[in-house]
Amino acid sequence: MDTTQLLKGVLDLAVLAVVEDDDGYGYDVLRRLRTGGLTEVGDASVYGTLRRLYAAGALTSYVVPSDEGPHRKYYGITPIGRTQLEQQTKDWASFSDTVTALLHHQTPHHHQQGAAS
Amino acid sequence: MNDALNTATRPEVEAFVAEVRARLTDLSDEEREELLGGLEADLSDQLADGADLRDVLGDPAAYAAELRAAAGLPERARNRGRWLPPVRRPGDLGDDLDRVRAWFLGLVELRPWSRQAWDVASAIRPAWWVLRAWVAVTFVDQATGSWEYVTLVPTLGVDLLGPLVLLVAVVVSTLIGLGRLWPGSGPDRPLLARLLLVVANVAAVLLPLSFQLSDQHEYDAGGGGGYYAGYHDGAHQAGLRLDGDEVRNVFAYNRDGRLIQGAQLFRGNGEPLLVRPRDAHLGRGVERTVGCGWFNGTSQLFNVFPLAERPQRRGSCLEEAELRDAGPVATPEPPFAAVPPVTSPVPVAEPETEPDTEKPGETGG
Repeated sequence: MDTTQLLKGVLDLAVLAVVEDDDGYGYDVLRRLRTGGLTEVGDASVYGTLRRLYAAGALTSYVVPSDEGPHRKYYGITPIGRTQLEQQTKDWASFSDTVTALLHHQTPHHHQQGAAS
Repeated sequence: MNDALNTATRPEVEAFVAEVRARLTDLSDEEREELLGGLEADLSDQLADGADLRDVLGDPAAYAAELRAAAGLPERARNRGRWLPPVRRPGDLGDDLDRVRAWFLGLVELRPWSRQAWDVASAIRPAWWVLRAWVAVTFVDQATGSWEYVTLVPTLGVDLLGPLVLLVAVVVSTLIGLGRLWPGSGPDRPLLARLLLVVANVAAVLLPLSFQLSDQHEYDAGGGGGYYAGYHDGAHQAGLRLDGDEVRNVFAYNRDGRLIQGAQLFRGNGEPLLVRPRDAHLGRGVERTVGCGWFNGTSQLFNVFPLAERPQRRGSCLEEAELRDAGPVATPEPPFAAVPPVTSPVPVAEPETEPDTEKPGETGG
């Protein structure tokens, strides 16, 4: 199935997750996401997301000069980013449970429905 | 995977990022640089890591749109036509040049042979600089004075002037090629200069064609003109012709020398021997008549002779008679009431057939 649409909703979460332990520059992050299984993710989407998370204060950035090639721009997670990551991780787990339950024709609990909307 | 690859920026990447940048001109400088910061390094690394060039450096417009969307920035403001005061960048034409350049360089990089060919072409650029100088001077040489053959060294009508002008032109052309003289070459120049160079180079390619044309023109005007004029008339003018004149009607006579009505004529290859409807007219003014084809159903056939005629001041018989105020259709006057009888060269054993059942249409092609 085409996971592009699904991906849009969780790209923030995925990007925050792969820089949680280790800073990375744009292509690093892209590579980590693709290695992690999100093979369909577009590079411009990832780079754009990094810029947006930075603008929102969830990431810091710093430039590492290079003698030969162009400068790399590294991103690291901020306390705001960590909070966001925690919250979104919970939301995702809850949402995922809800959809999985729906798909198995079970009646989900009330609080799970709330999280899904 | 945090190893530093330290890849040098490839020209296609630079061109591509310039392309993308050109599509973010409506953002503030800060927003734009925030969006593009590190992009060259990221793209270079993607390529160095073995990604396909066509996948990485795709459509810059789509790429810019995806960047914007992911970064939560608004779609590009429609500001075409606002390029008159060139504050930052003189608009979309420069973008187009960049795009063509990036596309071309990308194409060249795709195959080893095209890379080689491009290297060779780059190495012999000086030859092109000399050639375009020669084309320019030769064009001036051809355009001025009387007609003369195109020569290796233009003459310009005065001794030594030709070689001297050629030398100066070669020097100027080379300096432009090296980027030392306006308008220079390469992408990082004002739009006007880039356009001028493109136009001048295209002109240098096309102008030699005009040499050929003026050659032909002069030749026609000279002694051989009549022959060529006739040849061209015959070659280019449509319709049924005899010695270059339109044939307007045809009268077929049978072996007894009697006029055949409704003779359907074809070439040996089956093509109907057509008189063009608009050629099939005679006389002028009130005397004018137009030829009318025989009917097959409702369509007029103009390979069936003799064509009937009707008085009509303008146009052809294909038009409505009422619209053209045409007169009645009548049988035309034949040039001869009868012609001498003839005998077939083919020996025939069977008894003679009636003249009216004679089969027409054995005209040669």
